[in-house]
This record gives sequence, C-alpha cells and structure tokens, in this order.
Amino acid sequence: MTLAQIPETALEGPTSLLHTEEMVLNVGPQHPSTHGVLRLVIHMDGEFITKVQNHMGYLHTGFEKTFENRTYQQGVTYAPRTDYLHSFGHELAYVLSVEKLIGAEIPARANLVRVILHELGRIQSHLVMIGTGMLDLGALTLFFYTFREKEALQDIFEDVCGYRMNQGYFRVGGLSQDIPDGWIETVQAFCAKFGSAVDEYQNMFLNNPIFLARTKGVGVITPEQALDWGLTGANLRASGVALDHRKANPYCGFETFDFKIPTATAGDCFERFRMRLEEMRESAKIVSQALERLEPGPVKDPNRKISLPPREELETSMEAVIHHFKLVTEGFHPPVGEVYVPIESARGEVGYYIISDGGSMPYRVKIRAPSFVNLQALEYAGVGGQFADLIAVLASLDPVMGDVDR
Amino acid sequence: MNNTKTLLRNAGLEWQEGALETTAIVSPAKLKDTAEQLQREEWYLLDIVGVDYLEFTVKQPARFAVIYNLYHLGENARVFLKVFLEDGETLPSLYSVWKAANYLEREVYDLVGVVFDEHPDLRKVLTPEDLEGHPLRKDFPLGESPTLFNDGRFLDPSTFRAGVTGKDRGLSGYKGGERAGTSSAPLPPTLEVFTANVEKVKA
Repeated sequence: MTLAQIPETALEGPTSLLHTEEMVLNVGPQHPSTHGVLRLVIHMDGEFITKVQNHMGYLHTGFEKTFENRTYQQGVTYAPRTDYLHSFGHELAYVLSVEKLIGAEIPARANLVRVILHELGRIQSHLVMIGTGMLDLGALTLFFYTFREKEALQDIFEDVCGYRMNQGYFRVGGLSQDIPDGWIETVQAFCAKFGSAVDEYQNMFLNNPIFLARTKGVGVITPEQALDWGLTGANLRASGVALDHRKANPYCGFETFDFKIPTATAGDCFERFRMRLEEMRESAKIVSQALERLEPGPVKDPNRKISLPPREELETSMEAVIHHFKLVTEGFHPPVGEVYVPIESARGEVGYYIISDGGSMPYRVKIRAPSFVNLQALEYAGVGGQFADLIAVLASLDPVMGDVDR
Repeated sequence: MNNTKTLLRNAGLEWQEGALETTAIVSPAKLKDTAEQLQREEWYLLDIVGVDYLEFTVKQPARFAVIYNLYHLGENARVFLKVFLEDGETLPSLYSVWKAANYLEREVYDLVGVVFDEHPDLRKVLTPEDLEGHPLRKDFPLGESPTLFNDGRFLDPSTFRAGVTGKDRGLSGYKGGERAGTSSAPLPPTLEVFTANVEKVKA
C-alpha cells in the first residue's frame, strides 16, 4: 500500500487513524544498506517517506585535482580507484580519452584483452550488486553464491596483473604487459560454467516470493523521468530506453560482437535487478567471442613516444634509454585540446573530459561518474513508499560510493 | 555527424571547427533560452564540467568556463555547450530545464565556485562543510612540501611541475603533440637538442 492509496480522511483531523507528526530519520553514514559511506536524511510521515536528502562526500579524495598533478600515464593508477567494483570501466574510459587526444594506435590483441576484462569487470560488478542487494532485502544465501563467482573473477584479474582490485592494467597505447600463459583457458573454463551459475541465481531470486513482493512496482521510474534525471546504464534500460554506448557509440570494436541489450518497460526495482542478471549472460557471450579471436601479437602501440621500449632494447640502444627516461620522468605531451570518450560501464556512462594545455599532465580532468548522477533519482523514486522500499530502491540503483565521491 | 550539425543549426548554435569534440560557445545571457530549446528537441543533460582557465597556456575569453555535456538519443549525437564567465559572475540554473542539473551544478559550485542563480538547493556536495575555498580552482594551494635530499638539495614541487607543463618544450626539446597522428614529419629528440636544453636550463 502506498500513501496515495490511503483515503485523505484517514490521515487528517482529530479523529485521524494515523499520528501524522513528521519525523526526521537519519540513516548512515555507517550503515550496511548504504553500500559504502552514504548518509540519508529521511522525512517520514507515519510509515511513509515524504522527503529524502542524500549527504555524500565522505569518500571524497580529490581525484580530479590529483590527476592535474600527475602525468597522463600515472593517471591510470587513479582511474580504477573511483569505481572499485568495475575498475576496468573507468580505466578504459580514461585511456581511450587520452589515446584520442594523442592519436595512439591500439594493437588488435590489446583491444580484445581490454574487451574481455571490461566485460568480466561488468560481471563482477553485477555479481556484487545482486548479492549485496539481496542481502539488503534480508536474503543472505545468494550473497554466498555470487561471491563464489566473484572470487573466481578476482583470481583471473590477479593472474593478469597481480591485483585483485584497482588493477591499473591498461596503459595509454595498450596494456602494461601481455596476458600470462594458460590465462585464456582459465577464462574459457569460467565462461563455460558461468551460464549455469546465472541460471542458479535466477532460480534463487526471480522466483522468490518475498523478493517479488518487495521489488515489484516499487520505486518506479518512467522513461521521461529517467532521462530528465540523467540516468544511464542498466537503470535507464530498465525504464525502457535502450541506450548502450557499446552499440550506440562503439569503442574497442564492440560493433563486431554479437550481443543483445536487455531492456524492460516497468522501470521498477525488480526490473533493475533483472537487467543486471540478463546483462551478465550477454557479457559472458562477448567474452567467449573475444577469446576465440585472440591471436598472438603486440599489446602496445609501437610508437616509442607513447609506450615504454622493451626491456631488452635498453641494454643495446641509447635511443631506447633516452625514450625510457623521458617517458618515466616527464611523460608525453599531447596537443592542446579537449576530449571526451564515453563508455558503458556497469553503472552507466563513464567518460573522462580531459583538457590538455600541451603539458605532460592534464590541465583538467572531469570524471562523468554515473553513480553520482544516478543517486539523484533516490530523492524522487524513494519518496511515497515505506522505509523498507527505500532500501530496495537504493540497492537497485547500485551506486558505488567511490564513484559518487571521487 | 552531419545530423548533429543540422540539429545544432536549428538551435541557432555555432560550433568550433577542428576541435576533437563538437563544442558550441554560448553567452551566459542566452544559456537558458538555448537550453530550453535544446530540451524541447530532446537533448538530455549528462554532465557539467567546471574549468578554471587561470593558468592555461592559450588565452581564453574569460577565467572560468562551464561546459554542459548534452546527448541526443535519436541521433546518438553529443554536443558540449561552453559558457565563459569571469570570477564573480553567475549563471542561471538549468534545474528547471533538466532535473539532472541538481547535483551536477552543486558539484561545480562546490569544487570550482561558480554560483548558479535560482538553484533550489545550492549547497556543498563533496567537500566538508568547514573547508573554505574551491579545490579545483588553480590558485587553491596543494599543501605539499619540498623533498629534501641528503646533501642539502631540495626539489620544489611547483618548480618541478613548471618544467613539465606545456609552456616550454622541456629538457628533451620534444613536444609530443607535434607528432600526433601520422601527418607531421617525425622529429626525433636528438642528443644535441637534449644537451643544449640542459645547458639552457643550467644557465
């Protein structure tokens, strides 16, 4: 029952059935359901929410200022730390923007590895979203199942670059190093098993009566509202707008892969959860296709002004030593210009608006953080329902606080 | 791309030729009308960027710029509306046009210090309430300390950074932008240029 369904007479006057004094409720900043460090100030009229105010910034570390004082290549370290669940998305958005600025050429193998990791990252992020989202709604079991697969993915990431989180594996001009032997087989084995794992999740929550009761018809966002609030990603597609930059503005050769964009029309919490589930299947499809196309080859732009020379060359070539020294101490100088390349991360459109003044450090970097924009919808979609609904809406919007606060 | 230009021409906008992204410059007075017209033509606001051009190497019309990142679904087109303004000038809030402007304008206000008139709730959003100033302005101090070496030499961070900005060619005499793409003839950084520059810096 929503506030609108209660007759006016029951709410007003001295014979009111409900005591209607407004109450202000504080949630967070340390609260398991806020997915990080988010504080909500909620105005409640009886059981119903009349106003939601988000207070964020608890994780603000000034990434954009830090970017301005590091070389372009060093920036790769900071980009993944914004959205720590889909790090590869931010990393990719950053390097694509810089590459457009300097005109780097990416070898085919590097591009395919980027696609694979980008999509595996999306799967990892959605696994966390579904697992912790269900945890918020009181269902603990699914959390253990999704984290089983997440663990396997983190092992895959660790194999490729040594880090389980915040990888920083991409470089402007390619990758930091080639993938290790046997890695392709590991990922293939993961993809082969993953389909049945998704079926398992589907059985566990799409048919769960408690989950259906708590999410169906809750936090409805119409397509007009979604676009007005600047929503992107799965949250927008759940409302029926099929915008996906992998199809609309392809990057890294996504136009050559065969995959579908799941959309729904209801725009409620249930569909937002279901979108993530369907997207995981599509991502696994893309990964399998990319693995088949992988062929041996270079993983860096051969241009010595962008990529570090190979280690062996340093022993024989003076030029290589100079290049190495200049790239490490000073970095390359892109031309004056402003650039923006959007990509589709697990949370929506990520893009780095980079302004170059011709120096070896960006003059200004603005991160288009999807979580920050998506979180605005909570102030509208959360109103009118009960407090328990707000938790479902927050979980279904899937913000990552590192991405919100940067 | 041509469709984008038709759409922009319909809205009476001029874009900069030769830029990497389609950017149209709008005066602060016309911003709201332009935004309303674009909103009617189904452009959506995705992001707002605030820039302080105080230390920029190329002369800009004013110190600050606010850049609106707009997207058109039907044409998959993107345009950046750029508004230049001086310190102390204000911009009309676009909250009444696109609700997405709510947090985005608050962020620009918080980090760059541009004030948006008629914003319903213009408060800080990311920095702590007791922090004075706007961190993304170029004159905001970084709070770093010089690195001291054993023999009394020290590395002053701001001097070090001055050597690697676009203002001069650096120690190698090489500026990567001149070689972007394949059109311009490559100019390898020879040892002579390098040593000559080192001498120049020493002198």
